[in-house]
Amino acid sequence: MKKTRILFALMVGAALLLSACAGGPAGPAEQKNDSLTVLEWSGYESETYWGPFAEKYPDIQPDYAFFSEDAEALAKAQSGFYFDVVHPCGSWWGLYVEAGLVQPLDISRLSNFDKLFPELTQHGVINGQQYFIPWDWAFESITVRTDLVDEVPTSWADLWDPQYAGQISIFDSGESTFYTAALALGLDPYNTTPEQDEQIKQKLIELKPNLLTYWSDYTEIIQLLSTGDVAVGANTWNDAWSTLAEEGYEIEYIDPLEGRISYACGFGISANSENVDLAYDYINALIDTESNANMANDFYYGAANRDSVALLDPALVAKFGYDDLSILDQTNFQHPLTQEQREKMTRIWNEVKSEQ
Amino acid sequence: MENKRRLIVLIAPPAIVLAIFFLAPLVIMLLYSFKDSTFGPMLPLSVKHYMIFLQTPSFFRLLLDSSKLSFLTAALSILMAFPVAYFLVFYTGARRIILLTLLILPAWTSFLLRVLAWKVILGSNGLLNQLLISVGLISEGAPILLYSQSAVLITLVYVWIPFAALPLFAAMERIDPRLHEAAQDLGASPAQTFWRVTLPLTLPGMASAFFFVFIPTLGEWVTPTLVGGVSGIMYGNLIQDQFARALNWPLGALLSVVLLVLVAAFSYVFNRFIPITEVPVST
Repeated sequence: MKKTRILFALMVGAALLLSACAGGPAGPAEQKNDSLTVLEWSGYESETYWGPFAEKYPDIQPDYAFFSEDAEALAKAQSGFYFDVVHPCGSWWGLYVEAGLVQPLDISRLSNFDKLFPELTQHGVINGQQYFIPWDWAFESITVRTDLVDEVPTSWADLWDPQYAGQISIFDSGESTFYTAALALGLDPYNTTPEQDEQIKQKLIELKPNLLTYWSDYTEIIQLLSTGDVAVGANTWNDAWSTLAEEGYEIEYIDPLEGRISYACGFGISANSENVDLAYDYINALIDTESNANMANDFYYGAANRDSVALLDPALVAKFGYDDLSILDQTNFQHPLTQEQREKMTRIWNEVKSEQ
Repeated sequence: MENKRRLIVLIAPPAIVLAIFFLAPLVIMLLYSFKDSTFGPMLPLSVKHYMIFLQTPSFFRLLLDSSKLSFLTAALSILMAFPVAYFLVFYTGARRIILLTLLILPAWTSFLLRVLAWKVILGSNGLLNQLLISVGLISEGAPILLYSQSAVLITLVYVWIPFAALPLFAAMERIDPRLHEAAQDLGASPAQTFWRVTLPLTLPGMASAFFFVFIPTLGEWVTPTLVGGVSGIMYGNLIQDQFARALNWPLGALLSVVLLVLVAAFSYVFNRFIPITEVPVST
């Protein structure tokens, strides 16, 4: 009996040690020479997005570690996973800097940097230093099957209109839904009092009769809209409209009264990177005019490179205003969130979802 | 002494594997539930997330709701698997193994595919709706069943029937045919034989079938995500959100601990009333 107790104590000790390691700062990273590890969204590994890098280093094939949620990437980086380059989205950038996971960048080492829209690069500046280089940007708004509704919504607040009962699918995200409810209530999503948080939660609970289901990746919402299971896709990206319009559906991507939501994603270099030179060359290849346009055309997103716009589908440029980023002033651009803000938003969303 | 040493040698490898890959992760999970933040230091321990859980009654309500759904899933799976297992064991003779394999065959395809198949059946343009439209029962396609708790129940029962059938099959196969002969000799009707002989001897199989289905479905989040819609959310979705989106591991760990405690308590109570090991099994 005594022996089992000792064994148990040992195990608890080992577990304590393990969890302390996982929680502490990243351990010594594995040494890697002449290779490049990229922590990247799945689907972005195509060589057409970094052609100049392949030309310069024909022998180096980047190693990709894929993620499908920003949280996954940050968790990986935090727990000591070795990477050289990472591609998170704007509202997560601050957490990388806060945790010391990325290094300040020397923009003079990126010959393509001057071609980037300053409206986007300014968001990569945190604590006065450039940490992230934007690459892709997009909107979050409402996609509507105009043939399935009597009236097309004109604002975020219209999502609550009873005429859309059971016809809406919304993005399953604490951040996005918090944003949407705040905009509908006329609140600033970044500065809410606890009373306003409660108000937002109640507002979201009131939205539930209008919701058929939540969607969590773009293929899902495109499918829901194309089958007609739902008529309104809330917090959808540009790609939902583009894909469905291309297939001939009667579809509209609205410009809500309160303004669309917008965001950018971009690249940073690990503070522990052993291959800083390669990392700079890789990022510079990504923001190359042609590479950036290839990505934007494949995913229907905006390109951070001003010169890439000429290579984009003119219909999309006209539709989304990819050529003049003053359009962002009319939108609600997603800023970095602190971990507390994110936890709060997800908790509110979880409470809303578990309210049966 | 020699025997004892041999026993230790035999037990040590699985014990070590279990300790490292099963018990240690559970202890880590428990410790994480007392952490203040995901990446912060382990100490000092904090009950912050326990307070959040206690102050959010909807979390607990969802847990109860999910338990009910899993209970129903397990009960329906057993109800539907029982006649199948009974038929296989008592009426198919030598072909029973082939037929059992056929029964389990669908489980060889990916779990995700089987769940998605129900989307195809239950959707607006799905098979069910098209059938109802062609019969003239409804005039236009509407997802009447998809995106609801019923859809989750239907899908889960479908997925888990083979898992309920296996332990039932095993329990029935162990029943000595002579017991049936004896019952008949003593003048029992087929119904009496079933109620007084077959059913009691199948109880241990039913109990294991119940846990085979109840425990995994209680933690389910994939099926509710795909077919549950707004009303079909389960407790597992809450846990998944904490890890995948909120990056709030302490709360995710806590929610898992609560689930674990519930399941453990449930198993304990269940075991007291239906002592699986003590039900007589003929040899």
